[in-house]
Amino acid sequence: MSELIPPVRILYNVCSRVIWRGPPSTPLLKPPTAGLTCVLTVGKKDLTNLPVLSEDELEEQFVRGSGPGGQATNKTSNCVVLKHIPTGIVVKCHQTRSVDINRKRARDIMREKLDVHYKGELSEVLMKKKEAVKRKQEQRRKANENLERKRLFKEALAADSEPGKGTV
Amino acid sequence: MMMQRRCLTMWRRSLSAGYRCFECRRGGPKGIWSSPAVRACSMPACPAGRITALEAIDLWKRCFEKRGVAEPEHSSQYIIAHLLGAKTIESVEQERLTEFLSQEQTEQVWKLCSKRLSSMPVQYVIEEWDFRDLTLKMRPPVFIPRPETEELVELVLADLQMKSGTQHTCLEVGCGSGAISLSLLKSVPQLKAFALDQSQEAVDLTTENMFRLGLQDRLQIHHIDVMKDAQSVLSLCSSVSALVSNPPYLFSEDMASLQPDIFRFEDHAALDGGTDGLNVIKQILTLAPQILSSEGRVYLEVDPRHPPLIRRWVEVNVEELQYVETRHDISGRPRFCILQKEKSNKDHELDLN
Repeated sequence: MSELIPPVRILYNVCSRVIWRGPPSTPLLKPPTAGLTCVLTVGKKDLTNLPVLSEDELEEQFVRGSGPGGQATNKTSNCVVLKHIPTGIVVKCHQTRSVDINRKRARDIMREKLDVHYKGELSEVLMKKKEAVKRKQEQRRKANENLERKRLFKEALAADSEPGKGTV
Repeated sequence: MMMQRRCLTMWRRSLSAGYRCFECRRGGPKGIWSSPAVRACSMPACPAGRITALEAIDLWKRCFEKRGVAEPEHSSQYIIAHLLGAKTIESVEQERLTEFLSQEQTEQVWKLCSKRLSSMPVQYVIEEWDFRDLTLKMRPPVFIPRPETEELVELVLADLQMKSGTQHTCLEVGCGSGAISLSLLKSVPQLKAFALDQSQEAVDLTTENMFRLGLQDRLQIHHIDVMKDAQSVLSLCSSVSALVSNPPYLFSEDMASLQPDIFRFEDHAALDGGTDGLNVIKQILTLAPQILSSEGRVYLEVDPRHPPLIRRWVEVNVEELQYVETRHDISGRPRFCILQKEKSNKDHELDLN
């Protein structure tokens, strides 16, 4: 039997908001991420409708190679790999030369992917795409209308200025 | 087209034969060519025919691999992207990558990639690097900011933003290229900062970066050695909300095993923290109570072995400082120590003795 309505699981509300993480009491698979308290990035994109990420559900890998790190290492590779454990979705980001920015962007991309994953057709990304397509169609329609109007106007002018008819 | 293919084949053959070639004629920099290390390296000839960006990247990647240069592919990509006016190769349009480079561009590629052959860090080769949302000028031997230090800034910012509304001042010890101070100033418009370094070259570079970013009205930079001239530090500022530092923290015995990129080109004084890596850290913590305002904090980047050592040492030696917590870096290593000055009723008065 075909499904008419895509299953929309509003799971993201179950995730707790990211809060300031205290000192680790047990060894973690991944470290508590410093400073990533505010996931609702105030940036150019409007991300407020996207699912909130819980750092508990993320596994982050920084491809910097083995080696002591810190002052003892100078590597330029800064690819961040982010995995969302519950869904298995993986995001890789090496868009910039800053690890910090790549981490933030990876999280933004993850939120978009989770949105698509959970909401399907109704996700922000796909909705925006549809809107963009609609807008373009509307623009095209208006442009055609204008052209048509101009064409008719020209025709009317041509008809008026024919010899035999009075001109001003 | 046949001409280009023949040229390419020639380079590949010359590479595999270890052919010793001349460097590009025009604009060869004197400094690097006179270095014996470079003269001993054979490198591919500057092509007679034309080459695309992708071909250049691939050629130099293989050359770096052959010469044991670290991160051969990334090095090649960053350098050539930079010459194309981009920060990463991913941000260059595919069409541009498959276009032929101009004669001038090709020579530039050869000039810069040849520098990388001697293991000069990419950041020094292209003379810039990014730190958080800033692009900073880089120049040897001033220490190149590490990605871990971006997290140090985040820690400071989180605290400053919680106390927002009031005027804050911060002090950075060992500013290097200015990454930490400038990054804080950019993110906190009301912040004022003092930055120090014992290296004149670091002071000069921080100054240059400060002007490039238009932050000169909120930053004061001083050439002071915190180890030798504590008094100057204390007369400079008091009642500082945050004392931040990425001080030299390597153990002296670990200096010799550093990769050549670091060992040959970066200031050892920015790296060597003494036998236990704690020389500068201890000095900073000793001075901290006189510099900080009541409940002001110290933020340090350290060696992963340091946090418990620092905690114990402070308990015994710096009564007014409380160890708050240890934070880890993205690789999961203990990397940051946060300490706080105890609450006091009045601001600490300058001890002029």
